Amino acid sequence: MSNPPSGTDSPAIHASDSRLRSGDLDHVNDALAALQVKDAATPVSTLGARSTPFGAGGPLLRRFDESNQSKITSQATTPPKSVVGIGGKVAKPDYSEAKIVLAMVGLPARGKSYLSNKLTRYLKWLEYDVKVFNVGQLRRSRAKQKREQSGVKEDHTASYFSHNNAEATRLRDQLASDSLEMLIQWLRDGGNVGIHDATNSTRERRAFIERRVAKQEGMTLIFLESICNDPATIAANVALKVSMGDPDYKDMSPEDAKRDFLRRIKEYEAVYETITEPHLSYFRIINVGDQVTVCRIHGYLQSRIAFYLMNLHLKPRSIFFSRHGESQFNVEGKIGGDSGLSERGLRYATALPDLIKDNIGDASLTVWTSTLKRTIQTAQDLPYTKLTWKSLDELDAGVCDGMTYEEIELAYPEDFANRDDDKFNYRYRGGESYRDVVLRLEPIIMELERQENVLVVGHQAILRCLYAYFHNLPQDDLPYIKIPLHTVIKLTPKAYGCDEERYTLPIGAVNTHRPKPKTMRTGSPPRVGTSRDYYTENA
Amino acid sequence: MVAPLYTTASGLLFHAGKILVVTVGLPARGKTHISRALERYLRWAGIKTQVVSLGDYRRKSLGGAQKLPPDYFTLGEKSPETIELRQKVLDGCEQLIWDFFNAGGQCVIYDANNGRREQRRRVAEKFGKEGIHVVILESICDDSAIIERNIRSVKISSPDYRGWDPNLAVQDYYSRIRDHEKHYETVDELDAASIRIINVGEKIMVNNVRGYVQSRIIFFLMNIHNRYRTIYFARSGHSLHEHSYKVDADLSEIGWEYAARLKDFVLERRAKALKERGLDPKTSRLGIWTSARRRSHHTAWPFLAAADPKHPGGAQCKVKVIEKPQMSEINPGVWDGLTVADAKREYPEEWERFLKDPYTFRAPRAESYHDLSVRLEPTLIELEREQEDLLIIGHASVIRCLLAYLIGLPPSEIPAIEVARGDLIEVVPASYGVHSQAYHFWDGPGRTHGEGEGAYEERDPNNFYENYAEDTREKKHRVGYADEKT
Repeated sequence: MSNPPSGTDSPAIHASDSRLRSGDLDHVNDALAALQVKDAATPVSTLGARSTPFGAGGPLLRRFDESNQSKITSQATTPPKSVVGIGGKVAKPDYSEAKIVLAMVGLPARGKSYLSNKLTRYLKWLEYDVKVFNVGQLRRSRAKQKREQSGVKEDHTASYFSHNNAEATRLRDQLASDSLEMLIQWLRDGGNVGIHDATNSTRERRAFIERRVAKQEGMTLIFLESICNDPATIAANVALKVSMGDPDYKDMSPEDAKRDFLRRIKEYEAVYETITEPHLSYFRIINVGDQVTVCRIHGYLQSRIAFYLMNLHLKPRSIFFSRHGESQFNVEGKIGGDSGLSERGLRYATALPDLIKDNIGDASLTVWTSTLKRTIQTAQDLPYTKLTWKSLDELDAGVCDGMTYEEIELAYPEDFANRDDDKFNYRYRGGESYRDVVLRLEPIIMELERQENVLVVGHQAILRCLYAYFHNLPQDDLPYIKIPLHTVIKLTPKAYGCDEERYTLPIGAVNTHRPKPKTMRTGSPPRVGTSRDYYTENA
Repeated sequence: MVAPLYTTASGLLFHAGKILVVTVGLPARGKTHISRALERYLRWAGIKTQVVSLGDYRRKSLGGAQKLPPDYFTLGEKSPETIELRQKVLDGCEQLIWDFFNAGGQCVIYDANNGRREQRRRVAEKFGKEGIHVVILESICDDSAIIERNIRSVKISSPDYRGWDPNLAVQDYYSRIRDHEKHYETVDELDAASIRIINVGEKIMVNNVRGYVQSRIIFFLMNIHNRYRTIYFARSGHSLHEHSYKVDADLSEIGWEYAARLKDFVLERRAKALKERGLDPKTSRLGIWTSARRRSHHTAWPFLAAADPKHPGGAQCKVKVIEKPQMSEINPGVWDGLTVADAKREYPEEWERFLKDPYTFRAPRAESYHDLSVRLEPTLIELEREQEDLLIIGHASVIRCLLAYLIGLPPSEIPAIEVARGDLIEVVPASYGVHSQAYHFWDGPGRTHGEGEGAYEERDPNNFYENYAEDTREKKHRVGYADEKT
């Protein structure tokens, strides 16, 4: 079985050289092994825990890095620099091959915008470039422009949506087509998923879209049809539409608005054709979660989208986030580790059950914790089903685990500045970046979408990532989201976002939040809320 | 994505209860293929799963088709003996299902035609009454090419047709299908939980399916395909420090040599394989997945150079290298950087427990192999979905988990799978499981563990953590092995 390596036909490598070098290497390893034994004999005690052999700034890692600066030159074409320091920047994964036109299909008030918003939030969180091209918004924006420039007010009541109204039909076709052109241009400029949010309710319209997208090489077209025949859901959607301040109904009484909107739906129903074209790629969702059809879906991102949509539901529920109570390491200013709660942290754990009970009464709840002591201790008195997730463990600080920020700065000043410069992309040596954590949490998001009331007892970085998903916050801001200790955050999903309440218990705790350094660019504060956009930003 | 490691009081995973998947479909519609794939996946996820095949049971208890009365498969009036015989087979099969559930099993895939609405309703009622979630899984196929391929590649090699002329056997099988077709009622019961797959995943329709494991099943079914492709596995190169997770060391000189050798070997083997299929290696792309660790990603660099048209000697192949942070090796937690002797001394209790159950035991701050499987699950689904040839340059622990899934080994055996550095493992998925073969192409540190006397002293066959288990010669399970003449 042990053939000699046939390195002889690989001219760059000389056997004698490699033997010499492997000898050097053994020497290095021996030295390290000796160090290790010595280190093990004199444990540096931190709360009874043994110091880790390769901690940042520790003698072992330093020795290793110094010996690592060897004269060894690589035969490879692109030799890397030796790893020194505590981490590095991680590049965004290459998503340039993903170019998807996702065209919605469905009658008004069937949750098309809801689905497209959810999907946008999910995909953006995973760092895909996603944009919704809403034909209704374009229509309103253009009408507003027209009104402001010429003073002419277009009639956008139900008669505008009648298919017997030839002029309006032409205008609406034009709008759909313009919005598709904008979408395609945006994909060509580097976008990944463009969502065409319109009714696209006839075969003819879908065939038009198909012909147009077929002209673009590398773009995939998928239809997403939302069918809803549950009267309660439709009524709720209609009520929402009327009460959300839709400019179409600005000057109408709610009753008139509702009547007009129902009439608009009727106009669409008259010509609506569900997808039966056998060659199209499509998802069909009936009553969000009841029935799903997936047809001709190829590609990984597409199947992810399908699976995500499959896991959504509309039942009212709340999601609670709480960090663990204050831990020993929090008190000492150390990051990572697996310490227990401090005395104040334990008081928080004792107070938590009443706070939750006051909030949800007798409703059912599932509590999720990580596998680390501090979250399990925090949840110990909660009288609900508890699940432990390994993937909820705190961001792994690698060689810096168990150190204070001051110690890290002292050991590796340049690296420390690096992290401040781009915290989302910074990966601790031997550990994780925020991006890595987002990827790790994706299954958790999927499961959170499927569940009803859930309380996540988690860690700062973990909750920042989950929170950013629910509030659609950009990656740049994500590592700076404030998730204080001893505070329960309650999120209630609504049609266009989440309502939020915070309950802080009057039990003191250290502040573990490190603000964004002043020198950094700070964008406008993100929009957090549950209202709907009615105009496109650039029409 | 498989939920965390927790077992409810009843011994079942995920609070999911017991699940009966009832397959429905005409013969040669790939029901068995789907059943076996699903079984492999669920078992890998730690769910006790069993396929109960009516056909297998019938063959085992009554013998091949030649031993059956002539009216067993045909339509119309059957003799009382035949009716009794068929009922006996049915009852026996259902008894097998009960036996498995009663013995602590969680999921049964009942592989039979179940082509009658009445039949399905009866099964759903019978098992539903006992609190078992019944999901109907229908496989429909209207593409005659797929059906013909399935009959030729799978059906006529069954014991029913031992000694038959292949063409006659195909004819006979078609007549068996035709009889079934007359009776067949497609799944249109809207009150039942059902998944319907058309032409091996071209279209999937899901009705009323709830629950965690059920949703995993759907996602899995959405991603499997039966296109021909090869998956290669290789360890990353030797690094400057092998025994630490955190240190994230660079490749050593030897590691770079290994990487270059790996590139040559893979390109050579692939060129050969592609030529046989009439494909051009310069245009058929090879996907390469690495972890985010330096030694793993750097091992792929020679491939990048070989693919780069601007590089001398480049443009030999087409590759796409993707770095996947989820593919980091198993996290050894507090054991990081310790030798086996250190770990035993400092954590004697943990070490004992680890040896007793190396799959599920989690050292402080560490990941168990189960944790690792959970972490790798999205990668695995992506692996199923991928249609291009794929080279995975990974860490031993990661390759162990992925291989166990592909080969269909039970989770408890994952820690003991041999993945030696210097072997290229080739896996080709086929309709029942996979063909796998290891090819040896390199010798060096991490494989032979030094030279001369005493070189193996430190080796511990019970050491399942890769950080100090670089030498895997004592591992119990090995992939099919072939020495490649190079």
